[in-house]
Amino acid sequence: MTINSVFLQLLTGLQLGAIYALIALGLTLIFGTLGVVNFAHGALYMLAAYCAVIIAGKMGFLAAIVLVPIMLFVVGIALERGLIRYFYNRPHVDQILVTFGLAIVVEEVVKWIFGANNIPFKLPAWGNGVAFLHEYIPFLEGFVVFPKWRLILVAVSLLTVFALFALLQFTRFGLIVRAGMREPEMLRFLGVDITKRFAIVFGLGALIAGIAGVFGGPITQVSPGVGMNLLVPSFLVVVIGGMGSLAGALIAALMLGMALAFTAEIASLQQIIIYLIAVVVLLGRPRGLLGKKGVME
Amino acid sequence: MSVTTAEAAARESAKPQDAPAYFECRDVHAYYGESYIVQGVSFEVKENEIVALLGRNGAGKTSTLRTIARASEPHVTSGEIWLDGQAIHTRKAHEAARTGIQLVPEDRRIIPGVTVEENLILAQVSEPKGWSLERIYEAFPRLAERRRQEASTMSGGEQQMLAVARALARDLKLLLLDEPYEGLAPQIVREIERIMMEVKKLGITTIIVEQNAIAALELADSAIILDMGQVAFRGSAKDVLDNPQLRQEYLAI
Repeated sequence: MTINSVFLQLLTGLQLGAIYALIALGLTLIFGTLGVVNFAHGALYMLAAYCAVIIAGKMGFLAAIVLVPIMLFVVGIALERGLIRYFYNRPHVDQILVTFGLAIVVEEVVKWIFGANNIPFKLPAWGNGVAFLHEYIPFLEGFVVFPKWRLILVAVSLLTVFALFALLQFTRFGLIVRAGMREPEMLRFLGVDITKRFAIVFGLGALIAGIAGVFGGPITQVSPGVGMNLLVPSFLVVVIGGMGSLAGALIAALMLGMALAFTAEIASLQQIIIYLIAVVVLLGRPRGLLGKKGVME
Repeated sequence: MSVTTAEAAARESAKPQDAPAYFECRDVHAYYGESYIVQGVSFEVKENEIVALLGRNGAGKTSTLRTIARASEPHVTSGEIWLDGQAIHTRKAHEAARTGIQLVPEDRRIIPGVTVEENLILAQVSEPKGWSLERIYEAFPRLAERRRQEASTMSGGEQQMLAVARALARDLKLLLLDEPYEGLAPQIVREIERIMMEVKKLGITTIIVEQNAIAALELADSAIILDMGQVAFRGSAKDVLDNPQLRQEYLAI
């Protein structure tokens, strides 16, 4: 392998990992705070992608970037208040059944309205085309290009990760949520309405799915089944990273992205590689890479 | 969350026929899942009174405290709880805390993964606030030294200190102490005892549950003995100490 192809595969891995990370981040945030396994998270991504393609078509791409995450935040809050909160004290199996059921309903409704086919998602002019990487990176030989949009996706993922980390680590809201993850009952005894904060967290998880839908939609397709297709690897990312661990999800997303990129030339291996990694990691570390004791056991 | 008018109406209609004492439990029944734990507890506590809530293991002491603090378990099926003219039985845990009830739970429940100071800050997220952090650090210099330390890495005695300080960080009307001496080394117990004496001087109405009945009775003005989820005795601390039969039957001391 030449330095060029290794570098391109690294970038591809990074980009694949970025989209898994965005979806897995929302999943693991919701699981870590609320203890809910949200199988409807893929459907939220799909919904975001449809909203994005429609809004981008009518009002321009920038409008979609601003509006879709806000819309998904509202959808997330409504979902939590209207349905999910009744399942906090129910077994994980019940939570999986109800969220999975919801995902199927949303998928069918979208199919009914927009049809089963992929809707073409046109990139904005500023994100279209390729970046000439050899002009910026000295060690590359000759002519090396990479789709601009995929680089933007990586950058957006990084920004989202840092923003979420900063929110949880450096704000009072973050302190309350982190404390609430560990000792929800004690916070109530201290007069904190932790349930209200948790609803906002669910909204934030949905908001991140919104960001993923806007920036991922042009790459992954906009079709009714796209959410479910992404949910499986994203859920694996959460499990490999350790249920509820944000840092673990990031590492796992990167691992899976890289594994897929570097097995691209061996199709049969690429199809099973992520499951293979899941098996190997979970055999060695049943709680996942950074999973905590007592979570989902 | 704002209080809905329906809830307000329920609270209004929940007012008892005769005026309740400063703090009062009226025929409170509560369950842990299916098991019937608090079986019709009734008692009154005067303002500024310190009451020792005693009884054998499984008599329902901790459950009674958790019921008063409106924990989701045990859940109340009937009865009334009143504090300073306000109905507590219609409230959730965080709302009960805002009326001035503070539970210092068994095993202290220090929030792990955050610092000593953050534990105190979390106690002041919601109104009404009590002692300022400055005042707390003045009263508990040990906590001031360790303010940046992760709270759950402190010793048991220091954690107990923090648990009491965290309650004082809120504006208190009723302090519920569950086994403050449990699992502490004897010399630490003496230190916590000193803190308890200071708390006593503050005149905060307190209910204290303690395995060590003698230690609890030293602090308390009066005592309640629970047996099988009901009040078996209510009297002064002296009454209990002077009554060998009572001590033998319910406290094994």
